[in-house]
Amino acid sequence: MPRTKNDILQGTLLLLVLKTLDSRGSMHGYAITSHIQEVSSDMLRVEEGSLYPALHRMEQEGWLKAAWGTTEKNRQARFYTLTAAGRKQLAHEQESWARLTEGVRRVLRYA
Amino acid sequence: MSWIRRLRNLLRSDHHARELDRELEFHVQERADDLVAGGMNRQSAEVEARRRFGNYGNQKEQTRDADVFVWLDTLIDDVRYAARMLRNAPGFALVAILSLALGIGANTAIFSLVNAVILRSLPVKHPEQIVQLAMTDSNSTFTNPLWEQIRDHQTVFAGAFAYGPQQYNMAPSGEARAAAVDVVSGDYFRTLGVRSVLGRTLTVNDDQRGCPAIAVLSYAFWQQEFGGQRDVLGKTVMLNGNAVPIVGVAQEGFAGLDVGKSTQIFVPICSVAVLRGSFASIEGRSNWWLSVMARAKPGDPIDHMKAGLSTIAKGVFEATIPPRWRQEQKDRYAANGLTVLPASNGLSDLRRRYSKALYTLLGIVSLVLLIACANVANLLLARSAARQREMAVRVALGAARMRVVRQLLTESLLLSIAGALIGFVFAQWGSRLLVGFLSSAGNPIFLDLGIDYDVLAFTILVALVTGMLFGLMPAWRASRVAPNAALKANGRGVIEGQGRFAIGKLLVAAQIAISLALVVGAGLLIGTFRNVSSLDAGFRAADVLLVSMRRPGAPIPRDQAVQTNDAILTRLRSLPGVASASMSTITPLGRTSWNEEMVVDGFTPADPDDGVAFFNSTTSDYFRTLQTPILSGRDFNSGDRFGTPLVALVNETMARHFYKTENAIGKTFRYRAGARTSAPYEIIGVVKDAKYQTLREKTLPTVFVPISQDSGSLGGLNVELRIPAGASAAAPRVRSVINEVDPRMSMTVTTFESQVAATLTRERLLATLSGFFGGLALLLSMIGLYGVLSYNVARRRGEIGVRMALGAGQRRIASMVLSEVGGVLATGFVIGVGLSFLSTKLIASFLFGVKPTDATTLVGSITVLAIVALFAAYLPARRASHVDPVEALREE
Repeated sequence: MPRTKNDILQGTLLLLVLKTLDSRGSMHGYAITSHIQEVSSDMLRVEEGSLYPALHRMEQEGWLKAAWGTTEKNRQARFYTLTAAGRKQLAHEQESWARLTEGVRRVLRYA
Repeated sequence: MSWIRRLRNLLRSDHHARELDRELEFHVQERADDLVAGGMNRQSAEVEARRRFGNYGNQKEQTRDADVFVWLDTLIDDVRYAARMLRNAPGFALVAILSLALGIGANTAIFSLVNAVILRSLPVKHPEQIVQLAMTDSNSTFTNPLWEQIRDHQTVFAGAFAYGPQQYNMAPSGEARAAAVDVVSGDYFRTLGVRSVLGRTLTVNDDQRGCPAIAVLSYAFWQQEFGGQRDVLGKTVMLNGNAVPIVGVAQEGFAGLDVGKSTQIFVPICSVAVLRGSFASIEGRSNWWLSVMARAKPGDPIDHMKAGLSTIAKGVFEATIPPRWRQEQKDRYAANGLTVLPASNGLSDLRRRYSKALYTLLGIVSLVLLIACANVANLLLARSAARQREMAVRVALGAARMRVVRQLLTESLLLSIAGALIGFVFAQWGSRLLVGFLSSAGNPIFLDLGIDYDVLAFTILVALVTGMLFGLMPAWRASRVAPNAALKANGRGVIEGQGRFAIGKLLVAAQIAISLALVVGAGLLIGTFRNVSSLDAGFRAADVLLVSMRRPGAPIPRDQAVQTNDAILTRLRSLPGVASASMSTITPLGRTSWNEEMVVDGFTPADPDDGVAFFNSTTSDYFRTLQTPILSGRDFNSGDRFGTPLVALVNETMARHFYKTENAIGKTFRYRAGARTSAPYEIIGVVKDAKYQTLREKTLPTVFVPISQDSGSLGGLNVELRIPAGASAAAPRVRSVINEVDPRMSMTVTTFESQVAATLTRERLLATLSGFFGGLALLLSMIGLYGVLSYNVARRRGEIGVRMALGAGQRRIASMVLSEVGGVLATGFVIGVGLSFLSTKLIASFLFGVKPTDATTLVGSITVLAIVALFAAYLPARRASHVDPVEALREE
């Protein structure tokens, strides 16, 4: 996978998207953005467009499935759903996130 | 797997870009809506929404990259890595690619022939609508009166037409130049939807009784004969001595409906009266020479067409009963019906003669490919053992199993694609070689073997399937490595179990089984060819020159023709080097036959066929020239003329069949001529049995009558010359002597040997190719056997070292290796014998003089395989027995 410059952010973004879709089922991109902002009480705000390269990459990796559908406002939108592989990946990402934060926490506490 | 979607993204990038815009634009609009709902005015909401979105173009690009390049990148990585692996093992790559190239090339070559002869549709509009008419007695050639009845009464088709291929001579005199002419009915071009590129095609108005001869040229003939000159419309072509005006050129790519032939000139049916100088083909109610075809109305089911024809059949047949037939023949004729056959791929004599042979060859080459696949699978298995550490490292570093399988499959596909590329080149000249094989001077074959999509698709499909076939199993096994065990062991392959090797041996056993079946099949087909070509045909073809003569134009008076023929024969007989010369209306194994229903006192035929004898009319010396011995009685002589009692010679079969005696001299016969019978003939001699139409036939009862007493058959005559010093070298002299006597005479000169050889094309084709592919199969299997054994010896070096250190001699070690070969061979033979019993049944109809279960062939094939296997085993066994125990154990 070609690496982009905001690697760390990207990794976090993947985790957030996977988690969101895991808990909320099928969603389109805008709803995912809104959900992340809402739940994090606006503490996390990403450049909204950067969500899409991530979504499509995850789709190609087989973690997400996508299909066109209709919103309540009767607009056409692309809806994403988590796959089994995606669920596995979520567990994996959660674990490494826990390790990372634990590591950072220890450094901050003992260094 | 979403490969297809990704590839589509790459190929249909416009569509993909629009989809992306739709998705991203949706996001911006939603955000703007929310901002408006929060109290912002629409315009600034849009601006703010875009600002929050970030760089739209950039995001879109990155999203697109995610869709396309993730996949492409891995693919390119895989391919690059696979290519590097193959470069590092050039020996392996070479053997694998070459085996596959041979296998795939052979398949493509045979398939392109199958495609051209059997599968491809006619180059006309809506070929699926084209049907052929046949009679319910399964005859499918019609007389012109029958065709005219059908033409005038059918309403079920969108159009109907008739055509008959005929050979005409384009040369004014001298060496004949055959023109491939299709005699066609008026509606031929309109019904097929074939247009003209120059002038016009033929229409219904051109096909009226009493018409003059006019010609439409095929595009290819126009190019080749007239250099594509547009002033061709004012010119003429010479057909049997008639200058026929050219009225048009048909569209490019159309050369008649007979697959394998290339029609050069089209003339209307009515013009045959002029061209042949006779109305026989037009008026004759028993001149069967036309194929009748039709274009169905769109969507019309075949049953409806059949029903439509059955309503007119009775009237059609009753109106055309041949008047001179006997009553029971007439009744049978009138009771006939009409039916419809699909003909979207045209008609083909070639197809009728060769489709089964071609499918047999396709079966043979697919088995060869299977053997090649087994070989490559075996090589891959051996390699994957050697690469076990590499796989272990990959898995340990976190590569998913599917990822490893995919990497290995990429390598396999790379091999098969490389094989297919080279194979495609092999196939290009292979298929041309095959067409050359089927063609003969008298019967040239034209097939469009240009690369078309069907052949290309076939090759790609074969490449992919073979790649999967030989790649999947080794890849799967390789990915099942347990990294711990593999990395702990010292990595010289000691760790792997017996399983991998057992599979290798099984594959070799399968190869040997298939090879045995192929070798047995080849043995039978070669035996057939040998039997047919060495059987006693009753004549000796070597050193005999055949000249087929025809005097173009209007017939000359009978006396004059007899005189000319006598003069030609006298001159030829006095040529130096000519041992004997004769003339006849028919030559053995030529394309014509003549039979009559016999009337013999005291003989009642069991069925109509039982009372038929085959005729030829000859001059004296015919039997001396062909070296068919006259067993008793005498040859014709100058006393046998018009007005003297009718005489005949018969062959042994004739004597036995009709007179139940070896000595039929003095007996008489008559034959039926329509409702009457001929004058009686007296038998003056009995000759040895000889073949008449084909070498494989059961000898036919044959009657020879003197040309000098035969009222017909002066149109075309054959000259036979026995020239012991070499027949073909004398051809130019013979030609000039004939033209000195009659400058208008045109002729075709061949050797009798090549005429005989032309009848054995199928046998020779099958024998040669099955022999070649059998040999190839054998070679590939032996490479497989050799590979497995060498690999196994290398694997067991340590063990062999220990055995030797403990006192096992070289002999003992060698016999240990050889006993392994014995096991593999025995397994292969057991399966192979079963397989050959099954497969030889399929070729039973090709065989002659051997049974499919011929024991000699089977034993012989097993012996050949066993001997070759010993050769393959020799080197590994020798290497095993020369292992130096000290060195081997030091490595351990």
